[in-house]
Amino acid sequence: MSKASRLKKQLWWGVAASIAALTAIAATPSKAAEAREELRQQFDKALKGKTVAWAPVWLGVLESEWTRVMKAHFDDYGMKFEVRDANFKSDVQLQAVSSLINEHPDVLVVQNPNVTLLAKELKRAMEAGIYVVQVNMASNTLTDAYVGVDARDMGRRLAKNMIADCGGGKGSGEISILEGEATAAYSLDMKNGAMEVFKADPSIKIVSSQPTSWDANKAGEITSTVLQQHPNLCGILSVWGPQAAGAVQAIKAAGKTGTAKIYVASDGQPADCDLLEQGGFYRNLSYRADTQGEAIVNAVIGLLQSGDKPGAKRTAYYTTPAWVNSKDDRMYCFTVPKDAK
Amino acid sequence: MKSLQRFWHRNSPQLFLGELLEKRWMEPIIPFTLTIAVFLAFALTIPRYTSLGNLQQLMFNFAEQGMVAIAMAFSVLSGGIDLSVGSVFAMSNFLALYFYLILGLPLPVMIVAVLAFGALMGAVNGGMIAYGKTRPFLTTLVVLIIVRAAYNKVTAAFTDELASINSESPVWDFMGGGTILGVPTNMAVLIVVAVATHFFLTRARPGVHIMAVGSSRKAARHAGVNVKWALFSAYVISGALSALAGIFYAARQNSSGTDTGVGWEINALAAVVLGGISLAGGRGTIARAMMGAAIIFMLISGMVQTGISGNFTTATIGIVLLIAVGFNVKWVKNKGKVLQKVYVVPSWVDFEPPPSIARDSGTVFAENDRLRDAEPIALNQIEGPEDIILDRDDHLYTVNRNGSIIRFRAPDYTVREEFARIGGRPLGLAFDRDQNLLVCIAGMGVYGVKPDRTVFKVTDRTNRTRTRLKDDSRLYLADDLDVAPDGKIYFSEATTRYELTDWALDGFEGRGNGRLICHDPATGTTRTILKNLTFPNGVCIAHDGKSVLWASTWLCRVYRYWIATEKAGTCELLIDNLPGYCDNINRSSDGNYWLAFVGLRSPVYDLAMANPGFRIRMVKQIPPDEWLCPGINYGCVIKFDDKGNVLESLWDPGGTSHPTITSVREHKGYLYIGGLENNRIGRIRLPNADPGWEAHKSYWGAA
Repeated sequence: MSKASRLKKQLWWGVAASIAALTAIAATPSKAAEAREELRQQFDKALKGKTVAWAPVWLGVLESEWTRVMKAHFDDYGMKFEVRDANFKSDVQLQAVSSLINEHPDVLVVQNPNVTLLAKELKRAMEAGIYVVQVNMASNTLTDAYVGVDARDMGRRLAKNMIADCGGGKGSGEISILEGEATAAYSLDMKNGAMEVFKADPSIKIVSSQPTSWDANKAGEITSTVLQQHPNLCGILSVWGPQAAGAVQAIKAAGKTGTAKIYVASDGQPADCDLLEQGGFYRNLSYRADTQGEAIVNAVIGLLQSGDKPGAKRTAYYTTPAWVNSKDDRMYCFTVPKDAK
Repeated sequence: MKSLQRFWHRNSPQLFLGELLEKRWMEPIIPFTLTIAVFLAFALTIPRYTSLGNLQQLMFNFAEQGMVAIAMAFSVLSGGIDLSVGSVFAMSNFLALYFYLILGLPLPVMIVAVLAFGALMGAVNGGMIAYGKTRPFLTTLVVLIIVRAAYNKVTAAFTDELASINSESPVWDFMGGGTILGVPTNMAVLIVVAVATHFFLTRARPGVHIMAVGSSRKAARHAGVNVKWALFSAYVISGALSALAGIFYAARQNSSGTDTGVGWEINALAAVVLGGISLAGGRGTIARAMMGAAIIFMLISGMVQTGISGNFTTATIGIVLLIAVGFNVKWVKNKGKVLQKVYVVPSWVDFEPPPSIARDSGTVFAENDRLRDAEPIALNQIEGPEDIILDRDDHLYTVNRNGSIIRFRAPDYTVREEFARIGGRPLGLAFDRDQNLLVCIAGMGVYGVKPDRTVFKVTDRTNRTRTRLKDDSRLYLADDLDVAPDGKIYFSEATTRYELTDWALDGFEGRGNGRLICHDPATGTTRTILKNLTFPNGVCIAHDGKSVLWASTWLCRVYRYWIATEKAGTCELLIDNLPGYCDNINRSSDGNYWLAFVGLRSPVYDLAMANPGFRIRMVKQIPPDEWLCPGINYGCVIKFDDKGNVLESLWDPGGTSHPTITSVREHKGYLYIGGLENNRIGRIRLPNADPGWEAHKSYWGAA
């Protein structure tokens, strides 16, 4: 027998053995494992290489936390993630969103500075075949998904809580509202939700309701003025934590600590919990930006796997808030990992 | 090696640089370059930046900022500032939404109402500034604060209405998002506005008045401009333009947030300054404001598009602006100095030692005292008689520094009269066949005075050199002229690079900056016939009328240019290496020619002429009164014949009464002497001259 034919024979044996082995594997418990693998492949096929564009109002503490969580997940799934920071300039944000639509990402995630600014562009994005997810601050245009709080409901809950402390003769019944950007959905809806409840109670008197443009200084100025005109002010409803820090200072300066209480809708940033623990805030109705970030990720990957055409459905992922009353409720504030920056 | 150096100095690229810097369009070169650079940088780094879609998007977003920048430019050009543009813009944005989408007013009514609001705010600014004499900065700052506060109040009051804005109007959507031939509507409007305001400021009387008031309020008032009205109108226009921007912004965004227009006055101001418009007013163009605005806009949008963090973007833009504005301010301020430093480009001139002028040398140039006792005419009645001429009635004409032609009446020349006033600095004189007195005027060209004293223009431009950056079609320094028998006027332009006051700088250059030009009155055409001549001067038609003699002052040579015979059109060297710097040449009664020496050569200066580096250092490093200068404190004239032989010389040693002689004329046995800087005309009797000879007869016959 020549060397070559011996080799050929060996090869045949090898092939036969492999076939036998493969049939053995296929015959035994492996069917379920294959399906799981397929699922992952399907998942990867739907997500890998897809682009998510993210246009926040700015990159504050809240937005940075969302961004961090999104980036961690999207990186893990092999997706591209692009951020456009308008740094609190609505005209710049409009430009950013417009140019993003021209760049045609697969998903566009936006935080609307107000309800009208991006309304046309979001419609255009969906028409161009881009999924649009809105975060926490919605537009007049509804899109594929909304992730965030039910601002109107939060307003109602805050108001009920305040009435319990200030209304019905327990307090003066004088309440001031610190809005954010007046036409931002988050502020507008929360104020309207609260007003709905306040109006129903005759013992409550809204002495002021003014926009602060998310600015602590402005909130401080407004609060000082309100306290001068209404020394018996019982409660301040602030739609956002950081701006209410200015009101805390104003109350302190007016010597009203303890009598004028601040109720805050908080996005769970650490400073809000700190202020509550120090007694600056009276109650936080808090949600956590980090878990909200995960909800955004879920909305995005849900859309990408749905097979729906952009603009086909309207889905919502409402965040559940929780009351922060003391140190013990610290878990409703998030902590930024040290290596996040 | 030396020949290479010579070549370098004679064809220095610095010449090009100097003339480039002199160009007016070089003033906005920094913002222009920056605009292109920023665009290119983003075009290279951002994918699809130059795609049609992205360009359209950029234009959509740019238009309103451009309009606000023009609004700011108006106030700055008028010599003030309008800080209220941002808040007027924001308020107009709100009013447009309110009137149109909330109240439901018809579109044209809304537009008129909003523009009227903007104009009214401008009128408040302008009224206080122009008629109340308040400071623009504080006035507009107060208006900014008031309008902004009102804006915050009204937007807060109409929160729910603003939040539910929804437009169904196609016209409104076209204003906000439509395109005309691919150009966004608002951008098309911006282009129209920019072109219109440009023409308004540069061509229309009210616009020019605004610029005039901006450059110098006092001068404008003296010129009869209604300063207050001009200022007032500038602010009204500024307000109306801001309002226009607000309308388009409303159509595009349908939203009125608290940050609308916040900081836009700063961006607009930065755009204006970056574009190089002087904050002192009166200097700048709309185009520059546009460039500045485009740079800022592209930087912001480009950096956002590259995904850079917002704070970093803001900081970077601040730094870029600071550098650019600083550089620009320095550039505008120091461009003149830079130009001065690089403009003078000395050439390389080789001289041989000239014939001796020593009194005992025995040469024809030997110093003597023949001009010492010249009889003064018109002493202290004349300033700078660069050229003199006598007519057939023996009246004496000369040029005066103040731009007039002075006549002294024969026979004793004591009666002084202003024959004609032309302006500029009159230099060389000549009579034509009809007794019109032709005169070269520095800064103006060639003019003529008829015997009845009416002044007419002969020519003020020639054909332009296409290969040269500098537009040399205008006559800078027409110097001397003469009229050929066929009536053609030959004249020299001493230099195309310097004004008359800087003639010494042209001397330091020693370069062929001048030219010989011929004007034909029959056809009215003017053509340059010889170029690159080193300070051509002393144009004189030879006795036979077949050639033009001209002298090169800095090269100390006399040339002959043939205008007839078979040599016509060629130029030849007649006399080389004269001991003095040649000026005017005129005919003498014996068929020869008189030549004036404006100055005398010295070994030191000759040496310097062969050392361009030395002269550059001299011009740059020491003050002008310490510069090495050609020796002009001498008085000397010579006579030469048609073959180029020098026949005699006449001297006023030390130039006590006749330094810097620029002209000699013989008339009826006398020699008349004029000097560029002198306070008199001199006259001496020529013992051997024909007492009946006069130049006019020599040229045009007895008639």
